[in-house]
Amino acid sequence: MLVHIGYNLLQVAVVIGFAPLVEGVLARLKELVQSKRGPSIFQPYRDLAKLLCKDEIVSRRSSWIFRTAPYVAFTAPVFVALLIPVLTRYPLFFAFMGDMLGVGFVLAFGGFFVALAAVDSGNPYGPMGASRTRMVGFLTEPVFLIVFMIISLVAGSTIPYIVQSEWIRSPAAFFAPWHVLLVIAFLLLILAEDGRLPVDSASGHFELAMIEKSKSLEYSGRGAALMKWGGAMKLFVLMVVFLNVLVTPWGLAGPADTSLAGVLLAVPLVLLKMLIFLVVLVVIESSLAKLRLFRISEFTGAAFVIAVVAMVSRLFAA
Amino acid sequence: MLLAAILLVPVCMSLVVLVSPLRRWAGWLTVLAMAATLALAAAAVQATLGSGAVSGAAGWLVCDGLGALIVVLVAFVAFTAAVYSNGYLRRRASHALSDDGGSYYPLFNIFVASMLAVPLMANVALLWVALELTTLLSAFLVGFESTPEALEAAWKYAILTTLGAIIALLGVLILYWGTRIAGEQAFTWNELIAAAPAMPPSLVWPAFLLILIGFGTKVGLVPMHTWLPDAHSQAPSPICALLSGVEVATALYVILRLFAVLNRVPGSEAGPWFIVFGVLSVGVATILMVQVRDYKRMFAFSTVEHMGIILLAVGIGSVDARFAAAYQITAHALAKSFCFFAAGLIVLALGEQRIAAVKGLGRRAPVAAVPFLAGALAITGMPPSAVFASELLILKAGLARGQYLVVGFLALFIVIGFAAIMRHATRMTFGKEVDMAEAPVGRPWSAGAAPAACLTALVITAIPLVALGLCMPAGLAGLLNLAGTAMGR
Amino acid sequence: MQAPSTSLLLSIEALASGLFLLTALGTVAARQLLTCFHLFVWQSILLSASAALLGLALSSPHLLAVAAITLATKTMLIPWLLRKTVHDEVYRIREIDQVLNIPTSLLLALVLAGVGYVFFVEMLRGIAVPAYALVNLPIGVAVLLLGALTLTVRREAVAQLLALLVAENGVFFAGIAIVPNLPAIAELAAAVDVPVYTLVVGLLTRRIHSELGTTMVGRLTALRED
Repeated sequence: MLVHIGYNLLQVAVVIGFAPLVEGVLARLKELVQSKRGPSIFQPYRDLAKLLCKDEIVSRRSSWIFRTAPYVAFTAPVFVALLIPVLTRYPLFFAFMGDMLGVGFVLAFGGFFVALAAVDSGNPYGPMGASRTRMVGFLTEPVFLIVFMIISLVAGSTIPYIVQSEWIRSPAAFFAPWHVLLVIAFLLLILAEDGRLPVDSASGHFELAMIEKSKSLEYSGRGAALMKWGGAMKLFVLMVVFLNVLVTPWGLAGPADTSLAGVLLAVPLVLLKMLIFLVVLVVIESSLAKLRLFRISEFTGAAFVIAVVAMVSRLFAA
Repeated sequence: MLLAAILLVPVCMSLVVLVSPLRRWAGWLTVLAMAATLALAAAAVQATLGSGAVSGAAGWLVCDGLGALIVVLVAFVAFTAAVYSNGYLRRRASHALSDDGGSYYPLFNIFVASMLAVPLMANVALLWVALELTTLLSAFLVGFESTPEALEAAWKYAILTTLGAIIALLGVLILYWGTRIAGEQAFTWNELIAAAPAMPPSLVWPAFLLILIGFGTKVGLVPMHTWLPDAHSQAPSPICALLSGVEVATALYVILRLFAVLNRVPGSEAGPWFIVFGVLSVGVATILMVQVRDYKRMFAFSTVEHMGIILLAVGIGSVDARFAAAYQITAHALAKSFCFFAAGLIVLALGEQRIAAVKGLGRRAPVAAVPFLAGALAITGMPPSAVFASELLILKAGLARGQYLVVGFLALFIVIGFAAIMRHATRMTFGKEVDMAEAPVGRPWSAGAAPAACLTALVITAIPLVALGLCMPAGLAGLLNLAGTAMGR
Repeated sequence: MQAPSTSLLLSIEALASGLFLLTALGTVAARQLLTCFHLFVWQSILLSASAALLGLALSSPHLLAVAAITLATKTMLIPWLLRKTVHDEVYRIREIDQVLNIPTSLLLALVLAGVGYVFFVEMLRGIAVPAYALVNLPIGVAVLLLGALTLTVRREAVAQLLALLVAENGVFFAGIAIVPNLPAIAELAAAVDVPVYTLVVGLLTRRIHSELGTTMVGRLTALRED
């Protein structure tokens, strides 16, 4: 049991440690696609180190919410990392603390706090971003619920570990048409939730058009570092849920081999899967233009339709 | 060999008239080809009457009573339409056609060939292809006059009937699946009927509904009829005669064939479906006929009405009713082509399709007014038109089966249809013209002005139309009996 | 009992059918004509792949022929024909004019596809049906309905044509699973039919464009009951 706690903490360490790397690789890939060289993939680490050394300036008008938000934003993905199969297929110590809905709640809690802080900051762009994030959230949450419902129909549970082993157990379910639809719907949700194109431009610098980034404009020093790091970890855990639970449930340390070596071996495999996913993400992001704000509902509407079709075809599969 | 020849003659002619030195005589060459086709079709009818069914081309082509009936009707209307085209097109070309009509006769020939192929194809999947080709090959004929209205009509026609054909294709494929499940190998009407008792009803019914909706679109059954009044009013008049007289009947042919199949599927009764769709089409079409403003459109709605009557007659389900349905198909083909030929004369005389603009036709163009009034009387079922005889037979057959409600509705709608058409026709013929300035010149459009070819076509059509209303030749009775048998055993 | 390779082929076929349905949903949601066009090509590739996979799994040369014919006609011949006949329409008109807005048409699509799918699954319950037919037929029907819906809501000529082609793909998708051995001549004839109607409708579009200066066929409303 102690070993399981250890592995669980190792998972957290992997998430914290590699999240900036994922961010760096993504940025580099994007530049490469545009035939530029781009910054080193370790640039996010340098940024974080630089920010952590700098002084923090906080508006006198702001309240405690503004000051605590970065810590919440940082810890929410850390908690999530305890619940999901980052490295192992067998459930670890905290696996049954929360299911996929729980994962959603924890991330939403972090997001909620950040939105509050954005309103608190007094910067006019902050509340604008916060309200837009809430709008996207309203549109994506029903779809998330449908996706989770289908998953629970299949696996009889929404505990990520159990869902993941279900795909491995029955390849027929894995290849079923509704599974593809489910995956696509979830991918659209990740794009919307993480502020990726075509919903939001993560690398844009135009405040009026920002959705996700405008909420952390007022942070500096350590606060900015934590927000940035938290954001990277959020993408990381969403990818873990997407890849390890839904799309490619292979490559993790199996129940047969519970040694530390097996668990450590899973790290490069998971990172490799992520690399492939990042390539797909970059292709999506470089081939799509940002949607106008009011067309976001069409985007999430598409995700909704796909999810419902998946549900119908799952419910009535003979 | 005979059946293959029926198809080959128009196909070859469509290629021949493409050759530039022959293009000048394309019209008369087409008449020649259609006359040959008609003769071959008559020979096919003879052969069918002798043996019940003939087949050809190594079993790919087949012709039984119903098939022979449709083939001979298509050939007859195509022949008269070809004759009519010679007069109509030349007169029309001078002012209304944007191109020189070079594509008209090749398309005309190949379109006729595709219509002839529908009843001759043994394989139902190939029949589907032939039926789809009738749409595609006639789309340009519908839009031939290149006015905005004609192009709009052609577009709706091509898109909606193709969508219908695609829906029907799924039905056809499911039917084929059913025959395979029932253990039959080939996919012909006979095999389908043989397989019907062993087919799972839960497959046959969706297949039937898909085909009813799909080909029903092409037939113009309500509520899939929306394109039909457009296409059948905007095409050149000889093409209207072909479309309304026989093309819809070739599509209806498939649905009628299914009646025999459905009634052999255990625990199923196709009659009510046919009756419901039939009454719906008759009712909606006659009511819409009251308010039309375009006389060709009026005849187009009348086509929807008559398709409904035929469907309903088959749905009644007795031998007499099926005989009457086959009779009605014949009478309608003759009467409706006559009506459109007459309408074409008005278009030639006054260049107008609006009812309001052709008032006083009796004075302005008596040579167009007489056939028009005659056609209106014939299509609404006035004796001695064949339509009168066939509709009477249908009502009688319905009463004999105890379908009083259906017969009541049918009679009511036929009367409404009669009133609607006659009201428009009398207004057009005897009404006082609002604005004489719309007439081409001061003096009336006299008999000398009407193209002789058009009048010839009218006469050729009128003879059987009246003759069949007065007496029933033994040969035709035999053919109609055979056709009725093919619709249900 | 099926060999494992067969079941794997059939599994991948099921996967392709999911993506097939997705492309049809995409054509309902797509705002740009070019996107619609690309989705159609992808859909045809998936149809062809599905036929090939079924053909391998059932060792049916007919289906392999269907796959080859589909690939040749729908991913090469039809795009070529479209480019020839309506080239600038496909590329110049960026956004499609719709009768309904996209979320509404998506919702309608959802209802239609759902009803069609469920109806056909229920229809097949009583019959001993192979698993692949149970996947393909309902999905084919759903795609047919989606195509019909797209046809109804779009005003643009080329978009309507593409919707027709999508509906037709749906029927073929159902067809390959339920009648894997249609006579070859019928296959060939059906394969000829599709390019012919693309050509006819394409030429008609061109005619409409040259005569009326627009391809918004949905805006042509001279003919109606008044």
